[in-house]
Amino acid sequence: MTDKPPRRIAGIVAATGETPIFEVGGRVKVMTRAPVGHYRVPTYLRGKVGVVDAVIEPAAVDNEEEAYGRNAGSRRHYYRISVPMTSIWSDYAGSPRDDLRIEVFETWLERI
Amino acid sequence: MTETKHLLNRLPNDIGGLPADPIQRTEHELEPWEKRCHALADVLDFHKIINTEEKRRGVEALGAEMVGKLSYYERWIAAFANILFQKAILTPGELARKMDEVGARWELDNAERTS
Amino acid sequence: MSDHDHQHPHAEIVHAERPGYYDIMETAVRELLIEKHLFGPEEIRRQIEVLDSRTPALGAKVVARAWIDPEFRSRLLADGRAGCEELGITFYDDTQLIVLENTDAVHNLIVCTLCSCYPRPVLGLPPDWYKLKAYRSRAVYEPRAVLAEFGTHIPDDVEVRVSDSTAIVRYLVLPKRPDGTEHYSEEQLAALVTRDAMIGVVPVTIGSGQ
Repeated sequence: MTDKPPRRIAGIVAATGETPIFEVGGRVKVMTRAPVGHYRVPTYLRGKVGVVDAVIEPAAVDNEEEAYGRNAGSRRHYYRISVPMTSIWSDYAGSPRDDLRIEVFETWLERI
Repeated sequence: MTETKHLLNRLPNDIGGLPADPIQRTEHELEPWEKRCHALADVLDFHKIINTEEKRRGVEALGAEMVGKLSYYERWIAAFANILFQKAILTPGELARKMDEVGARWELDNAERTS
Repeated sequence: MSDHDHQHPHAEIVHAERPGYYDIMETAVRELLIEKHLFGPEEIRRQIEVLDSRTPALGAKVVARAWIDPEFRSRLLADGRAGCEELGITFYDDTQLIVLENTDAVHNLIVCTLCSCYPRPVLGLPPDWYKLKAYRSRAVYEPRAVLAEFGTHIPDDVEVRVSDSTAIVRYLVLPKRPDGTEHYSEEQLAALVTRDAMIGVVPVTIGSGQ
């Protein structure tokens, strides 16, 4: 038995980044950019397609900017995504069921 | 020339999926200085003097050769020194003089002990 | 060549040999920052005590409690940090904790390919092998081969799920409770749970632990 979701109050405007863009179950693709400088998305993950397993709350500082001393600034969400091992490695030798989970910042993901 | 861009685009710590050897089950009790270094990292992060992500970036910025040859905590303290210089909290000269002083202090303490 | 994994036992606090270059650097940096009043010496001493107080025994208590108390287990799986805090395990940093439950369908393994993220508040400091290249590069690429090096064989119809920490979340594996422990006390259960089981490289067995 589930309760009805609470009715939203009209007129509330969320700040930039407060509302997650992606939802659990959504399919996302990791972008393929190759930045100079600090990054937290491993090369092996670039361009891979996954499914959002969890939205990490609350929105937080981009760690790639935090690394340069920005302890504050625009906050967005990190998403724990699920990617099958066989789509990461063309020669994956384990079970086809095997899976990777990893947190990715919102600005590295696009909807597909 | 684009054949060098891979050096910029792949950080020395970004090793997921690279070929590697069997796992050596090494463990060691931390040296006292290593534990102090870890505590220093935590205190620097609490105060946001050097946050944890800055430390990670600082280690990466040492470059592939140092990342490969310095031990775990050696990389941390070297990174801290560099970051503190960049933030104008310390100067290289200050640190060098203090290191000489610390070394000389040890010499003195140990000369006394053996005399 | 660095000798950071030498074998001889250490003298307690007094150096038997001249402190090394990096040891001196650490002391110099710390003393300079204290002189400049960026923090006090007692903060470093206190944090050393904090670190010394964090060992795998804490994680083992969390696991044992989850095994015997299904409602605690649910709360723990919903919010790992809050679950640990219920048992008095404080988190001295801003990290979150997701507890990964091993089941008949899923075997979890944790790694940090980019550095050495590890659930330190609840497990203490990670072993060297966790921080070195071989584990970090291979755990995401050939987890079953890595598990086999630890003597662990997972059937093909069980998913091996590797969690690579990259940001604010840390992980702790909740291993399966071994058969034959139905009458064990919570303390007896905790004594079976090893650090390596909470990383996910080995299961918990009746023979494991102290």
